Amino acid sequence: MKQYPRGGIAEPGASLDYHTGSWRLQRPVHVHQAAPCHHACPAGEDAQAYLALVEQGRMQAAWESLVTANPLPAITGRVCPHPCESACNRGQYDEAVSIHGIERFLGDEAIRQGWAYPVAPPPADAPVVAVVGAGPAGLSCAWHLLRAGLRVDVFEAESEPGGICATAIPGYRLPPDTVALECGRLMALDGIEFRPGQRLGRDIQLHELRQQYAAVFLGVGAQQARPWSIDGVTPGDLHDGLALLQEWKRVGQIPVPERVAVVGGGNTAVDLCRVFKRAGAKRVMLVTHSGMPGPGVPDPMRALPRELAQAQEEGVEVLTHRGVRRLVLRGEKAVGIETVHMKKLPDAEGRLRRVAFEGTESLLHVDMIVPATGQDVDGRGFEELLKGSAALAIAADGAIGTPGVYAGGDVTGNAGTVTAAVGQGRRAAAAIVRSLQREAGIDWTDAAPVAFAALNTEYYEPMRRHHGAVLPPAEREGELEVEQGFDPAAAQAEAGRCLSCGNCMACDNCYTLCPDTAVLKTRDLAEDGSHYVFDYEYCKGCGLCANECPTGYIQMVVEP
Amino acid sequence: MSTITNAGAPTRADGTISLTELREQQPRFQGFVGGHRACVGCGQALAARLVTEAAGPDVAVANATGCLEVFSTAWPDSAWRVPWLHSLFENAGAIASGMEAAYKARGVSAKVLAFAGDGGTFDIGFQSLSGMIERNHNVLYVCYDNEAYMNTGIQRSSSTPHAAATTTSPAGRERLGKRHMKKDILQIVAAHHMPYAATASVAYPSDLRKKVRRAMEIEGTTFLLVHSPCPLGWRHDGAKSVEVARLAVTTGLVPIIELERGSLTGSMPIREPRPVVDYLRAQGRFEHLFVDTPAAREELEHIQALANYNMERYQLRGSGHDARDTAGADTVRRGGVRWA
Repeated sequence: MKQYPRGGIAEPGASLDYHTGSWRLQRPVHVHQAAPCHHACPAGEDAQAYLALVEQGRMQAAWESLVTANPLPAITGRVCPHPCESACNRGQYDEAVSIHGIERFLGDEAIRQGWAYPVAPPPADAPVVAVVGAGPAGLSCAWHLLRAGLRVDVFEAESEPGGICATAIPGYRLPPDTVALECGRLMALDGIEFRPGQRLGRDIQLHELRQQYAAVFLGVGAQQARPWSIDGVTPGDLHDGLALLQEWKRVGQIPVPERVAVVGGGNTAVDLCRVFKRAGAKRVMLVTHSGMPGPGVPDPMRALPRELAQAQEEGVEVLTHRGVRRLVLRGEKAVGIETVHMKKLPDAEGRLRRVAFEGTESLLHVDMIVPATGQDVDGRGFEELLKGSAALAIAADGAIGTPGVYAGGDVTGNAGTVTAAVGQGRRAAAAIVRSLQREAGIDWTDAAPVAFAALNTEYYEPMRRHHGAVLPPAEREGELEVEQGFDPAAAQAEAGRCLSCGNCMACDNCYTLCPDTAVLKTRDLAEDGSHYVFDYEYCKGCGLCANECPTGYIQMVVEP
Repeated sequence: MSTITNAGAPTRADGTISLTELREQQPRFQGFVGGHRACVGCGQALAARLVTEAAGPDVAVANATGCLEVFSTAWPDSAWRVPWLHSLFENAGAIASGMEAAYKARGVSAKVLAFAGDGGTFDIGFQSLSGMIERNHNVLYVCYDNEAYMNTGIQRSSSTPHAAATTTSPAGRERLGKRHMKKDILQIVAAHHMPYAATASVAYPSDLRKKVRRAMEIEGTTFLLVHSPCPLGWRHDGAKSVEVARLAVTTGLVPIIELERGSLTGSMPIREPRPVVDYLRAQGRFEHLFVDTPAAREELEHIQALANYNMERYQLRGSGHDARDTAGADTVRRGGVRWA
């Protein structure tokens, strides 16, 4: 006990000798929870992390952070349906952050400025893995294997890498240069050997690959047209949707009917409609069982809403909740289709069943009808793995049950998007690395993301979402890209809209508002990556900092 | 003791520094430190911290009796790192006047701050405050307004708002809390024709800092009324102190304004006014208003009318986006960039 003379005097700041931390029943702790965008991304991108870097103008660091999950941001930034933005907490505040726009910006900047992929060349004696198919899944798998210090040989049946991105997605949506440059840069990395013109079952054999390589990843996609007919009837000049897109991309020309109906509700169908418009078709109709995407629609089309909207701007007619009842043929040639309104309704057992409504049949005069209802896996070269099923069934880590063989992408039948394929490639790479007794360094978060209610939105300001320029419909010709990207200023401003869910943004609220000066600010990053430490000697556990933390990064836990 | 790295600072062999050392390297001046005995989530402790941070080290404090005085100086400890003097409940203004005169006589350049609660300002210390202003001493007088005598057990003061329940204005069959209105101390003080009198809230620290600095620059008496929630007396969770303070502002019940020579020169516009029930419902001292009786309904309407009156009188209704309105003034930015 200190000795003081009698009378009311004390030394300055002497109360620090009295540790009010002993009063505490609960304590604040820093908890870095996944942001909803991170949680929702099929490729496992932590958008919150790279948006924070973009906001600070650290573009290259942001891109390097982004490619730790997805090496193809210029591609996915254009074609991904961005579930991250659907999940974005800011969507409940004003408008979701344009994550895809920033992703695309970073991908484009990396190509433009030639930023080096952040990876060291693998040792010469590193195990070599065979990746079959240089589509999104295969490229992602190869990249993540390389990051883990392995060597990769990538086999591709076509002459260029990119898979469906290179062969089928139209250039007005995904310019060929972007695909060639982004994939090309990846294939040129030291440690990745690109072998074009090698088709599985023709030029290379699965059993040989399994013998020669430490592991095999199959990402061969699904390119075989799904058989289609109406009651067994097909027109004699039946074209398949994907094949037409590939033809358009390769040759720049397709048969142009006066009036055409495209059947399907996915991106292939929408792409094909827009290609027909560009090729000169007068009337293009999209016929789909599903509804327009929108809030509360139970059965939306799988196509990207913005692509659909642009298609409609370009004059494509979208006939929703419509089925094809009958083909009207003159000889072998289609001259019309009979459509009927239909909808999915619950039956007596509550199961959804598609019901056609009598009396709504109508005839559409068309010169061509094109199904774009999906593709099947072409199993040539790995029939023994398919065992008669339509697609390769994979476990969560990409294993297919055959030792040393993994799969990802459309060949599994459940990827659905380029980004999901990237994610499957990444998971399979992690499994391959682990199977070779190495540290994968590829982490996934499955914990619940930060809920909107956990944020304190008082500390944010409403701000309109930034949009890149869009070509007016009249100027959309040929392969001109419709959507223009962000300039650096717009990208930075848009990244500034990120609410930083679940991660410290060093806003100083906890430091400013603690009545007990129990939050201390650090000059450099503290151990947990924030800029603050709690001084539990004085913290009384009031919870004010947690209540006023905008991002939900501070949580109160019962005192241990 | 937990440790953190802090490059550039004196470090231990392992590159870490202790929290004690870190505390001495904080970016803002700390005139009021931890270890004080305030209740959890005390709005007054927060207010004192924010005011002393903004005022800086060249000040001396005269403190009236009250919570702040009691909890900050449990002998032999003091939470103050600036010269600080306490005498009585009723004489903060007089003591501050004397301190200022003494500094002046000795040629010392320092600002004197007078700190008092609402009891020591609105009621007991009012005459010495009035005298100090009349003589225009170079003092910044800060009233930490928690709207009752909290230190002695939550008795009503002339600052207690209408209809709030305290131990001496309890809610019951006959009355729904305090019968009388809250005294408009700011207008009374400003009527001394003083250079600067303003209100602030702990929910808007940047605005509060700006006002402290403004007042510090003025030669003469200045007055700052800081709305400071009391979790114990207002009966809300200590974690909600800032939230409650913010609602007091956004409902219009506590106008954030500046008066110079008695005239309105500044106000914080309310971008999206909230209904007063949002503020009242957050506090136990108003819980008796949330029963379905004609009297309670009338009181709620009455309090809403008081808020509307404030909005009209001080033109608080915002018009669109304003970086200094209630929604813009507390906006946070990455890296802790604040406007004050």
